[in-house]
Amino acid sequence: MTVTSNNLKDNAKLFGDIFTEAIKLELANYDHKTILMDLKKKFEPGKLTPLLTGQVSIKAAVNQYLTGNGLQDTIEDKTGIYKHREWRGPVDTLYDYVKWLELWGILGKWLLKHPVTNVSALLRYRWMAAYLTTPSFFDHNVPGFRGTMLRAGRMNLNTIAKLLTANMEDIFSADLNINPENENAKKYICIDAYMPKLITAGFSEHQGILAHLVPHYLPSIINHHLPEHYLDVTESYGVPADVCGLPSMESGVAIEDDFPKIGCCYISTNMPCDGSIMSSSILDRRFQLPTYVLNTPMRHTREDTQEYAIEELKECIKFMEKHTGETYDYNLLREACERWNEQNALRLEKWEMNATDTPPHYGASNWMYRIFTYQDACGSQVAIKNDRKVNKVMRKSLGKLRKYPQQTRHRAVVWNTVANMYSALDEWLLNCWGIEAVFEFIEHQGHRPIDTATVDSMLAGVAKVIQEATMRVHSKGGYNAYTDDLWLLVEQYDCDMIVMFDQISCKGPAAITGLLEEEARRRGIKMVWLKQDLVDARTISRRDMRDQINKYMEAVMNETPLDPTLRDFDDGESW
Amino acid sequence: MKDLKHIHYFTALLEDANNELVRAAKKDGGIAVGYTCYYIPEALLNVGNAFSVRLRAPKTGSLDISQYYMGSMNCSYVRALLERAFEGGYHFLDAFFSSETCQQMNRLVENIYELKLIDNGTFYHSIIDAPLKISPHGIKHYTNQIRTHFLEPLRDQFGIDISETALRNAVAEHNRMCAIFEEISELRKADNPGITATEFHILNLVSYSCPTGLILPYLEETLVELKKRKLDPKIPYRARVVVVGSEMDDYGFTELIEYCGAYVVADRYCFGSMPGRQQIPINDDEDIVEVVCRFYLETNQCPRFMSQEKVQERRDVVKALYDEYNADGIIYEQMKFCDYWGYERAVASFVLHEEMGIPTVALDREYTVQASGQLRTRVQAFVESLEIKKIQKAKNQNEGEKK
Repeated sequence: MTVTSNNLKDNAKLFGDIFTEAIKLELANYDHKTILMDLKKKFEPGKLTPLLTGQVSIKAAVNQYLTGNGLQDTIEDKTGIYKHREWRGPVDTLYDYVKWLELWGILGKWLLKHPVTNVSALLRYRWMAAYLTTPSFFDHNVPGFRGTMLRAGRMNLNTIAKLLTANMEDIFSADLNINPENENAKKYICIDAYMPKLITAGFSEHQGILAHLVPHYLPSIINHHLPEHYLDVTESYGVPADVCGLPSMESGVAIEDDFPKIGCCYISTNMPCDGSIMSSSILDRRFQLPTYVLNTPMRHTREDTQEYAIEELKECIKFMEKHTGETYDYNLLREACERWNEQNALRLEKWEMNATDTPPHYGASNWMYRIFTYQDACGSQVAIKNDRKVNKVMRKSLGKLRKYPQQTRHRAVVWNTVANMYSALDEWLLNCWGIEAVFEFIEHQGHRPIDTATVDSMLAGVAKVIQEATMRVHSKGGYNAYTDDLWLLVEQYDCDMIVMFDQISCKGPAAITGLLEEEARRRGIKMVWLKQDLVDARTISRRDMRDQINKYMEAVMNETPLDPTLRDFDDGESW
Repeated sequence: MKDLKHIHYFTALLEDANNELVRAAKKDGGIAVGYTCYYIPEALLNVGNAFSVRLRAPKTGSLDISQYYMGSMNCSYVRALLERAFEGGYHFLDAFFSSETCQQMNRLVENIYELKLIDNGTFYHSIIDAPLKISPHGIKHYTNQIRTHFLEPLRDQFGIDISETALRNAVAEHNRMCAIFEEISELRKADNPGITATEFHILNLVSYSCPTGLILPYLEETLVELKKRKLDPKIPYRARVVVVGSEMDDYGFTELIEYCGAYVVADRYCFGSMPGRQQIPINDDEDIVEVVCRFYLETNQCPRFMSQEKVQERRDVVKALYDEYNADGIIYEQMKFCDYWGYERAVASFVLHEEMGIPTVALDREYTVQASGQLRTRVQAFVESLEIKKIQKAKNQNEGEKK
């Protein structure tokens, strides 16, 4: 297959855009022309009247100048580029700014550590360009945030950046596409991204790498137009357009030879869904590595499938031992499982805190972090350190008046697969309509502690962690595996609303549409269906998604937006 | 050729899932067990007075109700079955056995159960966990699932004898039926076959849709008739094709292919005879359930078997059929919205065409196909291309001989 992704021109242009945006953001507050234009626009004589007559406080007037009428005023139409950094009050703005600088520091450190390799990767892989937009992407995932939510969000995001850059460093240092003579390649075990990396924790000289995470999963979230090219590649190959976009995109990455060439073997899996099972056969053809298919039981909630799950795990370990030439060390696994247990306990505490009247943990910065740490950084010291810090900050805030959000109207569970192409949907729901998404489907993975008393009990626990991986925990196991948690969470989190994603190519949930609707009606819960196409914004754009919510909120709920600037805007050309 | 004696009776049996023979078996106290997939070992379901019915939804029309419950992006097979269940077409079922192999079939049985669409007080359903690769512990797991989710409930719920002897009798009966099909299938290898592709499809469908014990005498008689059948002097087709793909229980599709001038020499699709109508080798030493389960797992050609050796095996099986049955091309068909066959069709048709050099066409279709003009055009074009290839090949050979 011809390699077509060395798209120097596109990447250079994008790099230029990023650089310009960074400079703009840096200088925005000092750009005299912009300030003058803003002053002219904002301080119209008519606007001063309420201030002079005392109808508006000076604080509110200053705030209005700094943030406009609403959040969307700080953002350019279509491109979604920030005109200037968001004003969140002196303390929070400073905090946000410091964290933003810290992010640039993380990225700069990574870039400068191996400049040639990283630039080679940028020129070799189309998806690499998406990562250039990371600072902007992170900004878009904490809009309006103040106080605890801002701190938790920013800490999570920067931890993702730290872990991600470390991941990239490993991948590129071993990638045969970048350096064909690379001796590091064999030090890694490629793993399907839907399987937690915990299974490779028993090796000291070999490390697991989630094959899909860096090349396709994260880029699909960061740049919502990036998947389009890869989807087209897959469809040109003959795969129907109705299959789920995520495996379709990963097939496209494989067909384009855009996966890093790395690893001594590959652990494939049947998770999370039918589409993913099938795209694995395309990946296998491309990777050309010795492959073990780790078959996790479909009916994972049943006890009578666990023996098989454990046997599969044991066989997988034997396979890895064979291809790495290293003996699996169960003491190392035990240590990793104990760290996982601590991570899990901290996560459960987060969930408990979010069940209070003032949930402190919110949105994409939360669920992305959860996916990342469940799948990739399970048992990572960096992640645990961050979890401890975040929980400490959140604990302190409990019972106190929240700085943000000041007003909410509904508490919602957001169910079914999150739309990668619109990561900041929860933030929009909150800022525009006051719908507080207190629980996300995508963060509800396995959460039972692993019993590390014996090797067998530990393997049983790891097997369960695998079976209850991201999405998989609900996508398989029968109708009840999908719905029971939903109804339970609605009660536990005292929700009055469900935002139900209708991911149009996700067959399993679609096939119980009627059952869900009838049950929601029976329970008297307001459920809004939100159509989305996961990674393809051409089918249903972000604006289309907002429109569906707008219509529901106006026509059914008879409400008006909290922030009218967010009701309808065009972000079709943004990342 | 003269029509087969029972062919019109067979087509009448296919008009309704609850057909004459099913009704007769029920009247005799039979326990009707519905299923939809090769993962459910048919040979074991016909134990004692239980009998299997692979579910179809003949004469499917509007799918409005099932579309509300299952959405429009699920395959029309499961939607058609759900619609028929809403219409009361499966009240005759005593049990419905399924596996979570494809999500859509799994959801079908869940909808049927949750919505209480089978008006039968003793209705029982169960869904097994089926592995998607072959390994000793996988076979053990699959065998346990079959035993505890299907066989033991048949005994406990319906009092059916599931002793080793009873199960061996069921497998023996199944093998008798398969032996008939093996002989009939051999006819398809001839240049001028003694059976039309549509007839074969009809015979195959009735064998799945009717109680084995009741359809067997008709099939035995038909085999005798086929052996004596007087052939037409002229070869009745322009090309020979192997059909591979997803669920197909509409013989109208085969009729359409024949109408376009092609003869289906091998049916390697779900609900086809390959696999499904091959005798199960048994021995006296091993547990019969394990032998049967291993056979079903090893011969399963579902694309969800994702390990590379199985992926390669699927290509090899199709290539072997192409060679053995002297075919000119392969039709890969996929029911729309079938994830498994959507990928398999794309990759396999690419590999077979580009890497193995076998003329291959990939088609997608709905559950019922007869009325599809688009499909007809595509099959016609493929048959013409095969014909042109044959003419060119013959021409090249002649020129070579002259030189």
